[in-house]
Amino acid sequence: MLAEISGRDEKGQALSGYKLLKADGSTSCGCWIYCGSFADGVNQTARKRPHWEQSASALEWGWAWPANRRLLYSRASADPDGKPWSERKRLVWWDPQEQRWTGTDTPDFDEEKRPDYVPPDDATGPDAIRGDHPFIMQGDGLGWVYVPQGLVDGPLPTHYEPHESPFENPLYRQRANPRRQQNKDLREDPYNPVANEPGSELYPFVATTYRLTEHHTAGGMSRFIPYLAELQPQMFVEVHPDLARERGLEHGGWATITTARSAIEARVMVTERMRPVTVGGKVHHQVGLPYHWGQRGLTTGGAANDLAHMALDPNVHIQEVKAFTCDIRPGRRPRGPRLPQFVAELRERARR
Amino acid sequence: MSATTYGDEARPRVGFFTDTSVCIGCKACEVACKEWNLVPDDGLEWTGHSYDNTGELSANSWRHVTFVEQAKPMRIDGETAAVDALEGDHLAQGSAAPLRWLMESDVCKHCTHAGCLDACPTGALFRTEFGTVVVQEDVCNGCGYCVPACPFGVIDKRHLPRSPEDAPLALPLLGRKEDGRVWKCTLCYDRLKDGHEPACAKACPTDSIQFGELDELRERADKRLAKLEAEGWNGPRLYGRDPDDGVGGFGAFFLLLDEPEVYGLPPDPVAPTRHLPRLWRSTALAAAAVLVGVAAAFVGGAE
Repeated sequence: MLAEISGRDEKGQALSGYKLLKADGSTSCGCWIYCGSFADGVNQTARKRPHWEQSASALEWGWAWPANRRLLYSRASADPDGKPWSERKRLVWWDPQEQRWTGTDTPDFDEEKRPDYVPPDDATGPDAIRGDHPFIMQGDGLGWVYVPQGLVDGPLPTHYEPHESPFENPLYRQRANPRRQQNKDLREDPYNPVANEPGSELYPFVATTYRLTEHHTAGGMSRFIPYLAELQPQMFVEVHPDLARERGLEHGGWATITTARSAIEARVMVTERMRPVTVGGKVHHQVGLPYHWGQRGLTTGGAANDLAHMALDPNVHIQEVKAFTCDIRPGRRPRGPRLPQFVAELRERARR
Repeated sequence: MSATTYGDEARPRVGFFTDTSVCIGCKACEVACKEWNLVPDDGLEWTGHSYDNTGELSANSWRHVTFVEQAKPMRIDGETAAVDALEGDHLAQGSAAPLRWLMESDVCKHCTHAGCLDACPTGALFRTEFGTVVVQEDVCNGCGYCVPACPFGVIDKRHLPRSPEDAPLALPLLGRKEDGRVWKCTLCYDRLKDGHEPACAKACPTDSIQFGELDELRERADKRLAKLEAEGWNGPRLYGRDPDDGVGGFGAFFLLLDEPEVYGLPPDPVAPTRHLPRLWRSTALAAAAVLVGVAAAFVGGAE
């Protein structure tokens, strides 16, 4: 199968790379980026030569698409003249004898393009990229800090606080990303009061969600597999001992975590690993939430995603589940219709 | 003990060197072991002991990753402590204490002098041609003599897991819930026979679990220990490497970063059968004393 994907020439011989592919139908290939993965009739992906028997790029350990290239834009590891910036960390360089790029890795650059190449004015495509411009997938061959097009919140990188952050932006007055997508009119997606807004003191802690190695994403698969479910069999919440003392949380007991959206319950794990941060002279505690549980499977439990809001990053449209605010109290959450009432009560108190 | 009764079929003694300094606590060893050896799950109990929900080695857990959270620096030169303190500038007061998270993948030690093997009356436990200790599940009669004979609490009778909702002694399930035999790590005897390394070592992404010939592993461990000591790691030591200890050295030994007790391991394990010669000597002495007494009574009675 891999041999067919890798491709053959008109004589049926294995192709060594995608540059040999022809548009006249004389070559075959299943997917151009995998062309050469079966070069010389050998499954290149199955190679397991140890790293101490080859260069640091380890080109003979497995195979990487395309062209078994391990590092992108590696031309940038050499100076404009094509000499490595650092001999110790050299990757690719211009060989004046051979008049081509060479190195410990497959160069991510036109191997025959001289470092001093300057394109003619009417050049197009790859030919329009200079010999000292390594970022070949960009129109001008340059890495961009100033991004005049593409990013809707460009042109320069900066720091914004998350939508639901307990404090102001220490850099300047614009607190959160002004281009973030919000569901301001969606009744199901209310926001906590943030920063210094009145009512924010009712959601005083930073909630953050993360994964455990034993589960996959929201647990839809791993919660059904006994060998994985038994290793992390219950939803828990991680808090620092100081926060546990402050809120009366007991290790191994239950806690209810509340936002304006919902409330979930989890077993309490008190650990020094969950360190608070001090911002503007004020201690902010973090509430750590694995997000692998839900209503079905061998192990069920509160879904951390129920707590999250839907303020989205404007470029890739991902919600901010890594940082939002919450409250945490000892004990289990209310059941049935009393749950939305409980959530609404805190929300209304915060609005008053 | 190398296999001495196998003649030409004897193979060099193999084992594990588990280097806990590179363990990342992924538990891939636990899962790979269960997948390969068809070991049932061990119940869905959350323990609250850091990220360890396996708890201990048992008939249904042949690898067990211990997690220990400690207020100690990784390095004794205080370098890490200094870094932690630096980060502490941005942290709350009192939270800048050094912290390390120890992880150790525990397993059957495949002792040179194996208490379980000595105690087994049926021959179900045997020493393989690789020098490892294996239970034959078709011979074991479930007597359980081996269970207290293991100084590590490794070998165990299989009690199939009950869920917390099961009624106590649910009669239709009784008998089907108990296996009745003992189980433990086989060092993947079937894989060794085919020239493969054990499933846990194969799955370990950081080579914390290293499989090989024991002599070579001991050399490798000595070098690793010297390196960690030279780099100033806090508390590295080898556990079970010494062939003169109470079980004659482990076939599966460890590099730990603290006292064995911290990981729940016995500091000076001794195979209980090691005391047998002394016990028999005392018994013989007592028997002789009784005989002398009885004889004396007869002699006395004749007077």
